[in-house]
Amino acid sequence: MNKRVMELKEVEVWDGNMANSQAFRQADVDVVAAYPITPSTATVENYAMFHANGYIDGEVMMTESEHAAMSACVGAGAAGGRVATATSSQGLALMIEVLYQASGMRIPVVLCLVNRALAAPLNVNGDHSDLYLTRDSGWISIDAFNPQQAYDMTLMSFKISEHPDVRLPVISNQDGFMTSHTAQNVIPLEDKVACDFVGPYLQVNALLNFDKPVTHGVQTEQDWHFEHKAKQHAALMASKKVILETFAQFKELTGREYKLVESYNLENADIAIVCLGTTFETAMLAIDQLKEEGINAAVVAPRVFRPFPLEEVAEALQNVKAIACMDRSAPGGTVGTLYNEVSGALFNTPARPLMSNLIYGLGGRDMTVAGLKDIFRNLDKEAKAGKLSGKIQRFIGVRGPELSFYDAQGDVK
Amino acid sequence: MNKPISEMGWDELAPGAVLYTFDGDINYNIADIQPEDRMYSETSSKGMSVGDWRVIKPVWNSETCIDCQNCWIFCPDTSIIARNKEMKGVDYEHCKGCGLCVSVCPTNPKSLLMFNEYETVENALANWPEKKKKGE
Amino acid sequence: MSIIVNTQKEIKNLKSFSTAAERFEGSHLLCPGCAHSIIVREVLNATNDNLVVSASTGCLEVCTAIYPHTSWDCSWIHIGFENSSTAMAGVETMNKALRNKGRISADTPQPKFVTFGGDGSTYDIGFQWISGCFERGHDFMYVCLDNEVYANTGGQRSSSTPIGSSTTTAPAGSHSYGEKRQKKDIVSIMAAHGAPYVAQVAPNKWKDMVTKIQKGFSTYGPVFINAMSACTTEWKFAPNQTIEVSDLAVDSLVFPLYEIIGGRELNITYRPKNVVPVRDYLGAQPRFKHLFKPEYEYLIDEWQKRIDERWVFLQKREEIRM
Repeated sequence: MNKRVMELKEVEVWDGNMANSQAFRQADVDVVAAYPITPSTATVENYAMFHANGYIDGEVMMTESEHAAMSACVGAGAAGGRVATATSSQGLALMIEVLYQASGMRIPVVLCLVNRALAAPLNVNGDHSDLYLTRDSGWISIDAFNPQQAYDMTLMSFKISEHPDVRLPVISNQDGFMTSHTAQNVIPLEDKVACDFVGPYLQVNALLNFDKPVTHGVQTEQDWHFEHKAKQHAALMASKKVILETFAQFKELTGREYKLVESYNLENADIAIVCLGTTFETAMLAIDQLKEEGINAAVVAPRVFRPFPLEEVAEALQNVKAIACMDRSAPGGTVGTLYNEVSGALFNTPARPLMSNLIYGLGGRDMTVAGLKDIFRNLDKEAKAGKLSGKIQRFIGVRGPELSFYDAQGDVK
Repeated sequence: MNKPISEMGWDELAPGAVLYTFDGDINYNIADIQPEDRMYSETSSKGMSVGDWRVIKPVWNSETCIDCQNCWIFCPDTSIIARNKEMKGVDYEHCKGCGLCVSVCPTNPKSLLMFNEYETVENALANWPEKKKKGE
Repeated sequence: MSIIVNTQKEIKNLKSFSTAAERFEGSHLLCPGCAHSIIVREVLNATNDNLVVSASTGCLEVCTAIYPHTSWDCSWIHIGFENSSTAMAGVETMNKALRNKGRISADTPQPKFVTFGGDGSTYDIGFQWISGCFERGHDFMYVCLDNEVYANTGGQRSSSTPIGSSTTTAPAGSHSYGEKRQKKDIVSIMAAHGAPYVAQVAPNKWKDMVTKIQKGFSTYGPVFINAMSACTTEWKFAPNQTIEVSDLAVDSLVFPLYEIIGGRELNITYRPKNVVPVRDYLGAQPRFKHLFKPEYEYLIDEWQKRIDERWVFLQKREEIRM
């Protein structure tokens, strides 16, 4: 390897984008094919800067669209090497068909998705619409709540993606602007330690291996399609094992422990919110402050969004009396994704908490500590009364009259 | 691969629905080895037959043939077999009966003609037309 | 005049060409008489180098890689409709990266990267992708299999469909003569990218085509080949007439055979001994049969005029070497 070594401090101050870029650099990516879009642009710009200054010996391909970026990643990945890219929102929407193709073809790719609202109206700020758009795409999807986690998750993504028992592409999510553009302390690994942790790329069915010509990307009709999609789903579900192993190895290396389902104050709590992204950390502050009011609240987040840790989410929420599932994405005519998935997880268990769905923070609308305290206070009231305080789905923090939908039936205990 | 692919369940199929052309690894340049010497796997289409697409088939008359190889190059189905610059015959497993080989054959009479699928090669050769005179 | 030195095997004549070891196998599902297959065989047989091939969604891809059978004796990838070019660009870039890093030894001979796409993919839905690949200068060959329709889905019009042709989405009827627009000049557009080599070929003129394919393989950088693919199913002629119709196409100059080197130097590579009237070409294909009705016959005259003017234009460009 003839690339320059970067000396990192023990504690760096990086925003989420730089965390991504450094993880790419340390992971010795072979090809980065990318297209700029706010707020993920800096992930690629930083990487290009590293490349221009000799810190990268792989290739950088600046394509003419996001669809082309992901297409190039799939081609390069199938050729037999490590690939990565970054995008958000409209770019993710443009490349969505290629996401399905990548996972169906079982090509390891790491996508840093800096979560941003989907148009229309056009919005460059952070929400989870793009994250939700990837739900059924067959990718493993992990969420970071701050720049340290963005670095950690992105680094681990390579290891998980390329594992011989997985061979599935991985999305490393973080909130647009709130994480991507907020500089915080990040404790990085040394270059060599990080590179060794990720390990060398393992070639499987590589196009450039002329000893074994292989046909990638076939057509399967009604007599074969189902078996292949079944196999793909089985692999995605089984990846949970490798994710847990990787988290365990990472903890040994760094002391930082990650779980499929993260929670705060769950042991003592009767009420909880379920959310993704930076809201988790804001909720931690609200929860601490609410102890003075005698309210015991918790926040739960599926750090691994796909494969969805259904049993672990259900387990975590068994003793909670009232739950608000907070979805940071326009719900499109029904209850939000987290509400659906958490309710579905709880249904086949004895627990029957009050369940509500809060739509919040769209287009980067701030979710404040004060706002979360109000949400927890309301949950506390609901838990004590034994019924919802209003309709099932409510929009929080939008100017205008109350916007809520769906009545609960009967008295829910 | 011991089990035929048609008997495999979802758990036994290769991930990503990939297909291998050959069994095992190959350690030669494919372009240096003729197809009959390659170890095709059951997932190469070569082992399949599309001969049942035909209702008429080309019959080759080696007596009149001049080995020009027009039929070889213009066959869409790799069904004209040429070796050592000589026409060897028609691959009836892969021939779809399109008739292009006949249309490009330059000899007089033609060295490839279409006959009913059920006609035997012996009968066809026995009934080969005479050389056409100019203007016919 | 720029000379491209041929780095590929020498092909003196058809007999010696016939000694090639095929890498495109039979029992694919293409129609009897399909020109795509003839083109693919001529391209793959023109080189003995290792190959990585990609294809767009379309007749070729669907008929040669339908589970559980592949007709390709080489590594092959299909991702989607737009992006066969970009898929190959990814492969080519990974090859560069792995060689740079020493994970592929410098002793391993460089493979050839070949992409096939129909006119639907090339002229329409995949156009941006090809343009991007050519602008970035990847070292690969793009072969457009031009049958002037979206054949795989039943013959809808594309921007390659020539004026007056009847297709399912621009059919001839009592109030229409079919396609209203001129065929897009893809060769000029690709040449304008400054590509080192672009050419128009037809599989019936095998020597011309294989010479150009070998020139393409001998050129570093993006190479664009527009290959006329006479489609028995959509142009509606009998399967055994593919070569005959292709001959009419090149001899009437509807499909002129030429090359452009470095985006500038144009060489006409085939001058028919006897130029055939455009009318004969149109008359051989039922997709144009409505043009022979009295109310539409003026279109045949316009066709002839247009083809004649373009021939003059090509010759002038050839003269001025710019």
